[in-house]
Order: sequence, then structure tokens, then C-alpha cells
Amino acid sequence: MKKVNIVLSILLGIIFISSCEKDDICVDGATPLLSIEFYDVTDTTELKDVTTLVVQGILEDSVYPIITNVSLSAIELPLRVDATSTTFIISENLTPTDSTTVNKDTITFNYETKELFVSRACGFTANYDNLQGSINDTDADQWMEEIKIMTTLVENDTLVNVKILH
Amino acid sequence: MLLLCLPAMAQKDSLNVKNKDSVVYKQAYGIRLGIDLSRPATSFLDDNYTGLEIVGDYRLTQKMYAAAEIGNEKKTIEEDLYDFTASGSYIKLGIDYNTYANWYGENNAIFVGGRYAFGSFSQTLNNSQIFDTNRYWHPEDFVVGNSAPMEYKSLNASWIEAVLGIKAELFANIFLGASVRLGALITNKDPEGFRNLFIPGFNRVTDSSIFGVGYNYSLTYFIPLYKKDKKPSKKKELTTE
Repeated sequence: MKKVNIVLSILLGIIFISSCEKDDICVDGATPLLSIEFYDVTDTTELKDVTTLVVQGILEDSVYPIITNVSLSAIELPLRVDATSTTFIISENLTPTDSTTVNKDTITFNYETKELFVSRACGFTANYDNLQGSINDTDADQWMEEIKIMTTLVENDTLVNVKILH
Repeated sequence: MLLLCLPAMAQKDSLNVKNKDSVVYKQAYGIRLGIDLSRPATSFLDDNYTGLEIVGDYRLTQKMYAAAEIGNEKKTIEEDLYDFTASGSYIKLGIDYNTYANWYGENNAIFVGGRYAFGSFSQTLNNSQIFDTNRYWHPEDFVVGNSAPMEYKSLNASWIEAVLGIKAELFANIFLGASVRLGALITNKDPEGFRNLFIPGFNRVTDSSIFGVGYNYSLTYFIPLYKKDKKPSKKKELTTE
């Protein structure tokens, strides 16, 4: 009988251990955001705040809600996973009290979407590669001077992908 | 199939039957063949699963058995944002060691064993969505990915298993058994762009772990081939064969 007890307890032990597995919750990461910082055009190593920075996504003439800024000199933007280009309106207002002086500039990012499998719980996420950015110069008075792509691969890291000089 | 060649190799053991003790108990040696009951039962109950496993063993000595399982499984697993189907076959070869001291006439077993297993399979990613914690562009649902449908072919894995089980003789020569298996992957060829999350024969693969757990319930029929004396074990003497 002793032997039977030992066998039974090992059987139950294995079943018990196998029932609690850690891969039910996704902790390994998600699709990354595009990291942008604003720099001074006269001194390109110096961060420069954008007065009343407001960022909104735009898709086929419909303007999406305001994206919360990281700070006045840094933003993190979601790219469209199901497309190869995403457009944003980034606006500056040098006189915050006057809503008629809002200067809206439009920038477009082009990229390739790469899907990758992360883990059982998370499933697939996307990275973006071959990132290109352009300021749409239909606007007569642009406040953004130049866009610089720092890293063309957008993945889950702390690197800044884009510098905008103004 | 491999079991069929084993009798020839094991014959020479039976020649050494000289025993001075007058009390001899002839024990039957032979092949036990059958199927796993849990896989057809699960196939019947679960729409996402079909499977079959043939089990067999061949008695080598008083306590040792050469054991094997051959099976085929197809399982569809639905995760939150993707679902996939794993399909393939496997073979497991190894040894069972009976630790149960049977009374006269009994043929039961509480056994421990080991297996080397090899599986060949394919994984098909049926549907996939891209996980994104930021829901700005798609607040209603996750974006459908381009990865699916996709079949990843000619994958394989090998693993070792520690087996723990019981077998009881229900009727003459008919045995009902159960075993649990703790597997450890040795090789596992993951597909490019996806991962083997279920390996037929091995069962569920856990992230960043080589271990897996499986089980079976076997119904087997014993085909006696020859008889051999059981050496009566004298008090505390080394009589293991």
C-alpha cells in the first residue's frame, strides 16, 4: 500500500504542477510606439519645447482624438499596423491664449510592418522597419524646419526614432 | 513494428533456466498490444482534437519491459488573438520497470519507465490578430494580421520522458493501465515566424521551459509467447535479474 500511496502522490503532484502555468498573461511586450523628440534648429543637440504641443492622427480627412504628450518636447505616436503610412497633425501655438494663431503642420511616416510572434499569451505584435518621414509642405508657414530619422527600425526599446527641428 | 523484431534478440535469456530450487513458478512472457483509451475518447468529446495511440510492450526479464507508443494527433488551439492547428505523428521507445511484487498468479504492475520520443508534425496558423496595447487607430478590435493562414511544414522535435504508471489485469490477458509522463525536450525545431506551442505526443509546450506533461489510459491484450521460471527470491539476497 505504501508504494501505491507514493505513486498516487507523485501523480497528483505532476497534475497539480502542470495546471498552473505562467504563460496565461501577456507581459512580454506590445507593438511599439514611434518615439519623437523636438530639437532646436539653431542648436541640434538641445531639446526645445513646442508651445502648446497638440498631436492628432489623421486618416482620410477625418481627424482623430488628441494623443497625450510625453512632454512638450517629446511624443510617442502609434503607427497604423494595417497600413504602410500614417499621418499626424502636429500643432504649435505661440500665443496660447489666442486660438486663431494655432499653426498646424502635417507629417507623414512611411514604413514596412513586420509581424513577429512574441509569446503564447501575447501572440503576434508588429515592428516597423525602413521608417521614412516627411513634412507635407503644402502649408505656407511651417513651424517644423526639418525631420531627421535617427533609427529606421521601430521596436520595443528606448531609442528615439525621429528628431524634429524647429 | 519494432517490437516484432525483439523476440529474436531476447531468446537467449530463456536458455538459462537451471534452478536447483524445486518450487518453480512459470511466468508468461510475451507481447502486450493495445490502444490508449483517452485519445479516442477526447476525439469524440472535443471537436478540436483527433488522436490515436497504439501502445505495446515486450517482457524482457522478470521486471523489465521494452515499451513503445506510436501515435498521431491533431489539435486546434484557440488563444485570445490567434488560433492554430498542430498535426503530426510520434514514436516513443523505452523501458518499463515493474516495481510491484505480485502475489502468486497476479500480473499487475506499478511501473517506472523512460522513453526516447521523436515527433514529426506541421503547424497551421489559422487566424491571427496583432496585439497592441495602444488602441488609438483601432479602438474596436485588434488588427487582423497577415501571418495567417500559413502552414509551417516538416517540423520535428525529440524529447525524453519519465513515465509513471499502473497496469492491472482485468480479465485473463486483458490489462487496463494508466500512466503520466513528464517530458523534457531535447530538440525542437521552431518554424520561422511562429513557435511550436503544441507538439503531438509531447502535448503543450510552455514558454521558456523544456518540460511538458502527458498521460494515457491503455487497454492492452497480452499475447503469451513462452514461459519462464521465476527465481524464488531468497531472503535479502541479490536476485535481481
